[in-house]
Amino acid sequence: MNPRLTRRRFIKGVIYSSAAAMSGAGFYLTNAQSRPAAAVERLISINVNGRTRRVDVLPQETLAHTLRYKLELTGTKLGCNRGECGACTVLIDDVTNYACSTLTHSVKQRAVTTVEGLQSPDGQLHPVQQAFLDELSPQCGFCTPGQVISTVALLKSNPKPTREQARQALSGNLCRCGAYDHYLNGVMRASGQLS
Amino acid sequence: MPSHDVMPDIELYQPVQVEDALALATRLADRGWLLGGGQDTYGWLKDRAKVPEAMIDLNGIESLRGIRETADGVEIGALTTLTELVNNPLIKERYSLLASAAERVASPQIRNVGTVAGNVAQDVRCWYYRRGLSCYRAGGNLCYADTPEGMNREHAIFGASRCVAVTPSDTAPALVALEASMVIRSESGERVVAAEDFFIGPNVDIQNTTVLRPGEILTSVRLPTTWANATFYFEKVADRNAWDFALVSIAAVMRESGGVIQDARFVAGAVQCTPRRLLDVESAVRGQPRTEATAQSLGTLASQGAQPLNHNGFKLHLVDSLAKRALLG
Amino acid sequence: MTFMYIGKNFTPPDAQGKITGQARYAEDFRKEGMVFARLLTSPVPSGMVRNIDASEALRMDGVVGILTADDLPAAPRPGVPALTNELTYVGQPILALVAISEQIAENALERIKLDIERRPFVVDPLVSLAAGGPDAYPEGNVMARTADGMALKSLKWAPQAVEAFRNGRDPGDVEYTTEWSYGDLDAAFAECSVIVEEPFVTAGYPHHSLEPRTCMSYWENGRCYFHGSLQSQSAANAPLARMLGIELKDLCFINETTGGGFGSRIGPYPFMAISGYLSRNLNRPVQVRITREEEFFIGSARSGMQGWIKAGLKPDGKVAAVDVIIVNDGGSSGSGSGSSSAGAISVVYQPTAMRFRGVSVFTNTTPRGAQRGPGQNEMHAVLAPIMDKAANQLGIDRLAFRRLNAPDNNAKVEANQGPVTSAYMREAIDMGSQLFDWPAKISQPRRNGSKVIGVGVGMAYHGAGNNGFDGIVRIGPDGKIYLHTGVGNLGTYSYAGTVRAAAEVLQCRWENCEIVRGNSDLGLPHSSGQGGSNTIFTHTRSNYVAAMDAVGKLKEIAAAELGGTVDDYSIGEERVFKTATPTAGLTYAEAAQRAITLGGRYSGAEYPDDINELTALAVQRIAGSGLIGVAKDNLEKNGTAPGLAIGFAEIELDLDTGKYDIRDYLGVAECGTVVHPKGLSHGMNGGGTWGMGMAGFERHVYDPQNGLPANIGLYQSKPPTILDVPVVMRNAAVNIADPQTPIGARGIGEPAMGCAAAAVMSAIADALGGHLFNRTPVTPDMIIDHVAQNTYNNKSLKINTF
Repeated sequence: MNPRLTRRRFIKGVIYSSAAAMSGAGFYLTNAQSRPAAAVERLISINVNGRTRRVDVLPQETLAHTLRYKLELTGTKLGCNRGECGACTVLIDDVTNYACSTLTHSVKQRAVTTVEGLQSPDGQLHPVQQAFLDELSPQCGFCTPGQVISTVALLKSNPKPTREQARQALSGNLCRCGAYDHYLNGVMRASGQLS
Repeated sequence: MPSHDVMPDIELYQPVQVEDALALATRLADRGWLLGGGQDTYGWLKDRAKVPEAMIDLNGIESLRGIRETADGVEIGALTTLTELVNNPLIKERYSLLASAAERVASPQIRNVGTVAGNVAQDVRCWYYRRGLSCYRAGGNLCYADTPEGMNREHAIFGASRCVAVTPSDTAPALVALEASMVIRSESGERVVAAEDFFIGPNVDIQNTTVLRPGEILTSVRLPTTWANATFYFEKVADRNAWDFALVSIAAVMRESGGVIQDARFVAGAVQCTPRRLLDVESAVRGQPRTEATAQSLGTLASQGAQPLNHNGFKLHLVDSLAKRALLG
Repeated sequence: MTFMYIGKNFTPPDAQGKITGQARYAEDFRKEGMVFARLLTSPVPSGMVRNIDASEALRMDGVVGILTADDLPAAPRPGVPALTNELTYVGQPILALVAISEQIAENALERIKLDIERRPFVVDPLVSLAAGGPDAYPEGNVMARTADGMALKSLKWAPQAVEAFRNGRDPGDVEYTTEWSYGDLDAAFAECSVIVEEPFVTAGYPHHSLEPRTCMSYWENGRCYFHGSLQSQSAANAPLARMLGIELKDLCFINETTGGGFGSRIGPYPFMAISGYLSRNLNRPVQVRITREEEFFIGSARSGMQGWIKAGLKPDGKVAAVDVIIVNDGGSSGSGSGSSSAGAISVVYQPTAMRFRGVSVFTNTTPRGAQRGPGQNEMHAVLAPIMDKAANQLGIDRLAFRRLNAPDNNAKVEANQGPVTSAYMREAIDMGSQLFDWPAKISQPRRNGSKVIGVGVGMAYHGAGNNGFDGIVRIGPDGKIYLHTGVGNLGTYSYAGTVRAAAEVLQCRWENCEIVRGNSDLGLPHSSGQGGSNTIFTHTRSNYVAAMDAVGKLKEIAAAELGGTVDDYSIGEERVFKTATPTAGLTYAEAAQRAITLGGRYSGAEYPDDINELTALAVQRIAGSGLIGVAKDNLEKNGTAPGLAIGFAEIELDLDTGKYDIRDYLGVAECGTVVHPKGLSHGMNGGGTWGMGMAGFERHVYDPQNGLPANIGLYQSKPPTILDVPVVMRNAAVNIADPQTPIGARGIGEPAMGCAAAAVMSAIADALGGHLFNRTPVTPDMIIDHVAQNTYNNKSLKINTF
């Protein structure tokens, strides 16, 4: 074995015994007896919506799981848990990701933004949210947080998208209700192109 | 059967140096799973259809990222995302074929994390195989798709050998067309394999679609200057315009001079297990102008020798049409 | 009529929660001590579970319990049991296992050993119908009337009859389970100068609502608190209470937001019993989170159909006669909708004579149920190009042909040829023709290289209005108007649209109204199941009558206090006052205070005898808290309230690739008065998207060799993405009031889909010179094969396979 491969470099200790209890009501205890020693440290800090959160994270845990069940950020929805619907879309360093198909351990050094993190501290809606509200973009609403997040990402990189560009940017967010036209109207309003 | 969708217990290693990753890959061998963007990982794991003991997350290895110019073209780090490929000025300017192909992969979110290595190394999408059936590719002794009643609309028209799954990659045909080479490292050194030889069919190896072996990591993809700024054509035909795999795709590169094609490479996706060079088409167009007449002269060259299954005969016509469209641009 | 609120846009109060992530769906609720159930589903299409060995799983740390079919009351058979030992399709739930984490539950499921005896299976209804073919159940393949009521029986056709039918011919002398007719069919055909005779096949496919149907429940003091996900709030209570074996008053059903339904969540589904029973047995809160794959298995699906139609046109273009045969794929629940399919033809083309013969065959595929215009929409989709062919043969413009036959106020409906409440389809056609510019669209150049333009039109119908439900409004002593609704929040905003009828009657400020909903303990009236585009018509009426009751009580209270009779009083600006001397009156707040003091029917201490038990319980909960308006909708209604729509599509089809772009789409609604323009736009565009999915993408695929479904996940079942629908979708509405309902509004959700599917199918046929695929969906491979003159797609049509 390569002598530089010390245990310390990438096998950074194991489980903090108090961590599971912290994570809430014991729902998230895994079957500790059957677990081998973990290669990554479980108690980690992640930056979500501008706040650093200490959280006990299993090696295989998805970001959607952490957000929904440990940080109580249930605006990030699970429609398929397979990267096939987009309801779990979040921003990681301003880039859209499927939280169901992202390991929480991969976002340790990065900034996660969920739909709950868009409103200003005084509760004012993000301009995209306000535009979606004005256009009444959602139907059932289950895909809406993802649509909002994808739009926020689009307008950061392209403040005045064409309708065609907008639909390309939203093409990873399935809407089973078929509210696509209304979401696009929301994007155009949010970008000041629809009054 | 359980309808799983929760990630199972599995180790996670996050090396930050490629040497550490290689050591892990060697040590874990087939018990390990290399993790790039993960978009063809989590489904397998959640389904418990693949049960590696550990993931080796390569995302922390900076040396595997980025696109840089080299003396002989461009080198693309294996962890470069498809979105980065689409937006990279060098790629857009010189190898827009690859950008066009990358842009048609799945969805924006998947392209944002999906890597070039993952896109070429992803496993086949045969639904029987994905369902967890014990087919040849999964180590069993039959094929469910290649039967009179099999639901094989998406399957292979060429190169069947026990298995009839097709290559699902959108970038693979483009890389073969561009004569890319794949840089593969292991603890024992580095080898460079032409893209055309990187992909292997079931006649060579029934369980793997690439030459990558346990302990090896695809570290970069090199694009030679050979086809830089050539005439390009990429088209992917799929049922849906997002989030779908190709029914058939085509990637073509052409060099023109004096009003005729000097050289060309035409590569079809989703017609066999590997990207398929349309050699007959290539030789037919050499020395010919890019005209309707040349296109018509191609006739059914692209589909020559195809052996359709019960429900995929349309692919013959589609690959013939796409070859003509690629020629005309 | 001039309305304050009806026909005006507004922001429904739940919209903000949807865009901020605060809206709560069933799975978002957590409860202290909650444990997690996961399902073990059938690996085989047909069989019997002989033994379940869960001993190893139950010994695992963190495993809390298990529920099998033996722990539940016997379910009707055949049916859709929550859990079962008799396996009738791949994916059918066998048992639920509970653990302290989902991961432990999933790990434990792998330790359960099942001993399954396999049985023969079938995935194609015609294979089952053919003599010697397998039946999905041991006793048979269809439900038929017997001396003991409806029961399973084995119905078989001669092999040559099945073969004839498969190949597009009348199967001849065979047995059906459902038949109806009206008029003299032979005489009507004799008058015809054009007769078309065509086969057709439409694929079934899953609803795949984006929110999986997760349930969570717990018990406190003998009452069950149940978080679920249904289209209707109040339609849940009675059947769910029965399912759990408890009194109506002992169930609190909570359902603030529902992530789509499309017919799959009209009432409580059997699987809801799982969390209910487990939580009672374990005395802990139990959540059953449903995965996407399970949503495919248990989330219901449209029935596919295989049929034959013969339609005749008289020389003047009037449709005289239609003869139709439909074999439905009923899946493991046997549910087909052939009669509805045929009924829809009777409405949109008004034939003078018609016959329907049909049979719904059980197969070993997922259970089928209502899906957005069940029967009607797939019929409209395959029928449009067939009727185009007939019109073209007669040499009459396709739109003019539809206008000629369109339903109006004298229209007759379905088998019994009953009346409509009103119908203005001709007005819809004229509006659409102008907005779409039909004449210009059809006369434009069609061919450009491999691209060819197709222009299509399609009509759709669904019964869209019921009556007889209850409404409750409450005026609080704080002066606020509390609009209690049992209408669910499934994404149509109709819960809010319908209560605006009450605000309209009470002439109160909308900002002063609060919608009370989402939790049955809040006192919510009984409501419809909100299937069948019913909500707008049905519940504007129930809100109207409740508000009228409140207005009557306001006037009585005022007359008692200020003198005169009720006729001397008016309402306005949230006061009830003497019409002659407006300063003499009571504010709503004052009147509500008087109502509390007066008690009796004013305060809800007494209520009408004819209201539903759930409404009565609701009134009991809120009695004494204000002036209670409560009534059952006993308003007159004579006839079917039709939802009608016409769709127009222009496509550019690429002959090389078989792909087409929908360049323009317009849907025109004929649904009476428009209640909520943005809501209507959602219904039309959303329905349009569904129609495009039906026409081009969505279908079940089953492998006949092993009964396995091929396309479970979303990427495989292919609901349209934003890139598969037009960049702009257009819609309009006729907006003529229906005279038989006080607000004038009918429903539209279902026809919104059917007209789009039909228009796209019509456009595809138009682009291909009138070629009929005789099926939905039409996918690129079929178009390519047609262009290449391959023969596979048009002959020997089959359900469930390519």
